[in-house]
Amino acid sequence: MRIGLNRRSRLGVGLAAIGITALALAGCTDTTSTPGASDSPAATSDSNATVTVAVVNEATSFNFNTPDGNLDTNGFINYLTQPQFFTLDQNFEVVPNTDLGTVEKLSDDPLTVKYTLNKDAKWSDGEAMTADDLLLGWAIGSCYYNEDYFPTAGGCTGIDLSMPEVGDDNTSITFSYSKPYVDWNLVNPIQFPAHVVADEVGSTVEDIDSAITDTKRGGSNDLLKKVSDFVTTGYDATALPSDPKLLVSGGPMIVTDWTPKQSMTFERNPDYTGDHAVKFSKLVMRFIGDANAQVTALQNGEVDAIAPQASADTIKALQSAKANIIQFSQVSYDHLDLTMDSKVFSDPDVRKAFLLTIPRQKILDDIVTPVQSDAKVLDSQVFVPGQEGYDESVAANGSSAFDEVDIDQAKQLLAGKTPTVKLMYNTANPNRVDEFQAIQASAEQAGFTIEDAGTPDWSKKLGDGSYDAVLFGWINPGAGNAAFPQVFKTGGGGNYNNYSDKAVDALVDQTQTELDASKLLTLKEQIDAATFADGYGLPLFQSPGVFATLGKLKGVEQFGGQNSLFWNIWDWTK
Amino acid sequence: MFTFIARRVGVSILVLIAASFIMYMLTSLAVHPLEDLLQSNARNRAELIEQRTVAQHLDVPVVLRWLLWLGGVGRCIVPIGGTCDLGTTFTNQPVTELLPVAMASTLQLITASFILAIILGIVVGMVTALRANSGFDFTVTLASFFLYSLPSFLMAVLLKAFIALGYNDFLADPVIPLPTLIVIAIVLGLVLQLLVGGRLSKRIVTFAATAVISAVVLGTMSALHWFTTPMLGPVVLPIIAAAIGFGIVVLLAGLKNRRAYLTAAITVLLGIVSYFALQWLLNISTLGTIVILALVAVIVGGAVGFFVGGYDRGLMVRIGALTAFFIGSLIFIDRLMRSWPYYMSLTGDRPIATVGSQTPGLPGDFWTHGLDTFTHLLLPTISLLLISFAGYTRYARAGMLEVLEQDYVRTARAKGLPERTVIVRHAFRNMLIPLTTLVATDVGALLGGAVITEAVFAISGMGALFNSGLAGQQIAPVMGYFLVIAITVIFFNFVADLAYSVLDPRVRLR
Repeated sequence: MRIGLNRRSRLGVGLAAIGITALALAGCTDTTSTPGASDSPAATSDSNATVTVAVVNEATSFNFNTPDGNLDTNGFINYLTQPQFFTLDQNFEVVPNTDLGTVEKLSDDPLTVKYTLNKDAKWSDGEAMTADDLLLGWAIGSCYYNEDYFPTAGGCTGIDLSMPEVGDDNTSITFSYSKPYVDWNLVNPIQFPAHVVADEVGSTVEDIDSAITDTKRGGSNDLLKKVSDFVTTGYDATALPSDPKLLVSGGPMIVTDWTPKQSMTFERNPDYTGDHAVKFSKLVMRFIGDANAQVTALQNGEVDAIAPQASADTIKALQSAKANIIQFSQVSYDHLDLTMDSKVFSDPDVRKAFLLTIPRQKILDDIVTPVQSDAKVLDSQVFVPGQEGYDESVAANGSSAFDEVDIDQAKQLLAGKTPTVKLMYNTANPNRVDEFQAIQASAEQAGFTIEDAGTPDWSKKLGDGSYDAVLFGWINPGAGNAAFPQVFKTGGGGNYNNYSDKAVDALVDQTQTELDASKLLTLKEQIDAATFADGYGLPLFQSPGVFATLGKLKGVEQFGGQNSLFWNIWDWTK
Repeated sequence: MFTFIARRVGVSILVLIAASFIMYMLTSLAVHPLEDLLQSNARNRAELIEQRTVAQHLDVPVVLRWLLWLGGVGRCIVPIGGTCDLGTTFTNQPVTELLPVAMASTLQLITASFILAIILGIVVGMVTALRANSGFDFTVTLASFFLYSLPSFLMAVLLKAFIALGYNDFLADPVIPLPTLIVIAIVLGLVLQLLVGGRLSKRIVTFAATAVISAVVLGTMSALHWFTTPMLGPVVLPIIAAAIGFGIVVLLAGLKNRRAYLTAAITVLLGIVSYFALQWLLNISTLGTIVILALVAVIVGGAVGFFVGGYDRGLMVRIGALTAFFIGSLIFIDRLMRSWPYYMSLTGDRPIATVGSQTPGLPGDFWTHGLDTFTHLLLPTISLLLISFAGYTRYARAGMLEVLEQDYVRTARAKGLPERTVIVRHAFRNMLIPLTTLVATDVGALLGGAVITEAVFAISGMGALFNSGLAGQQIAPVMGYFLVIAITVIFFNFVADLAYSVLDPRVRLR
């Protein structure tokens, strides 16, 4: 078959085809100047360096402080991009951060605290930080309004706060507490720029200010509702927000890029000055969940530092990679709790006998020592090592009675009885299974019958009275005292033991309003000692943590708290 | 045909709904959505539990919760009373946003390995079948069973240790020492003589030739620092191009077809000319440019075949187009290689990556990013390829052996057709029929099955979505995963049935 075109038309069609192709090609080329094939990038000096760090989870929100956003990586982002009036040191002591402003306790009774912003404190979009931002921060954290407004991940900071006062030419805010509040120094009343929030909800800073100040305690307000909704869900994301206002930073770094599932890039905030300015130009967080993948990435120079979930294998791999390994104890710890009102454990002698059979050193040696060779048994229900007061409290709290397994004394206390103990644990967690087996083997020597109540459903059964003892983990907050009433007070939300001791109830109530540090220490030591005397249970060990670096990055140091290795990022150099 | 399709679609939807019910029930039995909060000692623990209970409808009985979920899925198809809603994770991320990203990652991860596994599997399987029970056959059988039985995480660890860390270390001083060179040459010689087989004298010649040639080539590459500055260059590229043209002619037209030679020769010449003439265009290329150039190359090659023509014009067009395509690929690879030194300098001289699918914030042009994708996907692709290719070799081998026993193959041989025609035209096509089913069902399995490979190489796709959903005690991502995989499996089974009826005239769809 012949194509029905004459020679000239065919030529025309051919030329047209070539022309169209050429046009398409012209549209599809990259004429921006690119480095030649043999060019090499400019040599990097210290302050231009890019630091790459592996993190386990992908970010999900730019607001860490909501119930949904409360994920470790989101916390890192907030730590790097939101203004902080204080930081925590390695021993969980509060260290004031005066880069942006100062905190001053004006009086103890009534407790009044004044936050003053520095005159030159700026957000990364050039706007000055003002008391509007502080007022918004207070509104978010105070639980002052309708209970549905501003849900928080960790509970409200000052249920006893009254409306704060703005002063000093709109640069300061003064909080007055109707009752003394023990953790007043952990309140950081600034999170997001008020002008951005106002923009996003289609309002003005002035209107939001008046909505905040005019709405009564427990009251509702349409604009506040909008602000609450935006702050609660508006910062959740699965990719880099197209709205750059969401990324406005008041911390040492700014989020500049986010490749979903891969990495997030931060750059130094040029408007941030002070002791906590970072000494390199870019930070890349790469999302690598698998611990061994983190190690090989470190070995291959793809990341400069890692903070994997540590196991003995990870440590071995790091050692053979000749990495710089930083080992430490985390604030989370495993513990054994006895149900105080269960049939078998209502007898204090049986409780003590059972606790005397717990092979804490053996459990530590089996589970933690392979990962952290210098690990020690945790000896306090209240403190963790490194915190001020741990050593003193351990010396006096009576934990030394449970240092060694004492089968003979346990037998004496039991006086021939052979109680049956239903011990619950999470069968899906191999560490807990090991703990159970060690305890079972040891306790049965003293005459106990240990019934295996392990189940993957354990969390639903906590506190339901179906077991006599349980193995699980708490997270010690490191800094702060909010957990005591939860865990130790009669009827507390986390008091699954049904532990009830009038003296302890009074003590934990006092801790919440004690402003004097040394008196607070004494109270905590008393609580600690009471739990051991009452046979509450036993702390077992802290989870081991590990950071590792390889190459030029310097300055990474151990930290057991939630900001992980980023806690001292301003000290890093590369 | 229409009733068949309509019936299948209807049945598929019912199957999907029933399966989703079972999956939802099983998942809800397996997860404990409040576990982390019950362990929390936060002072607003009660509010947190309340908040999640409301957000995830945990206060609704599980069967009704499934209906709620199903309603959300239904609105993806018919948006009545709201938009598409597959639920959210505990971190308030809509599953509808997570799924596309996860699918893209998984597709990127599996595409190359899937295609390569099919091609390699079929080729190797065919060759082993043609030389059944030879040394080559046994070697391939042994190797494929070995790879098949290797756990994927171990494969990943080995690949990372040897190819990534080992090769990157080697690049620091890219010279192959003489003893190593000799050992490599001897091993290669031994392998190749085993593959070629034949009598002892032939084996010795093969061994010697392979050993000497590979030693010379590797020695030259090492001396020229080829590993840090790789390229094919104006000498090697034309030689390989000519070899490709020759190979295609031999495979498709046999040794005696002059017009086929002419087609290939013209195409090869045009290819070499454009290699020299088009470097300026390649330097400023984007993906679009490359796609257009590839199309143009194939069309020009086809046109060459068309004009050379002859009694078998269709064959000539195929030869021209194929030759042009492969030579185009060669030029593409050469240009990629030329960007290698720059790419190495960007990655601190450690180009082969062990995690992720790209270097964050990488500067540079299309070629640098192309290399970046290559170095990141190299290891996971090899890992998946080696594991899945073994299965295809087995099926292809068995299929080929069976087809070769058929009467029509004997007839074809008896009437004097050349063996090449018998194999390529008659046996090969029929061998492919059972493989279509296998390939179709594998698509679904692959899309969801790379959980371990994804985790080890930190490429979070569908497997990671499923895994993190289960580990995080969340139903919504698990059900999102299920939905995609189930639809894919059902769809491709359907496609397989249709393909069967097209490929095999004996099959009728009713």
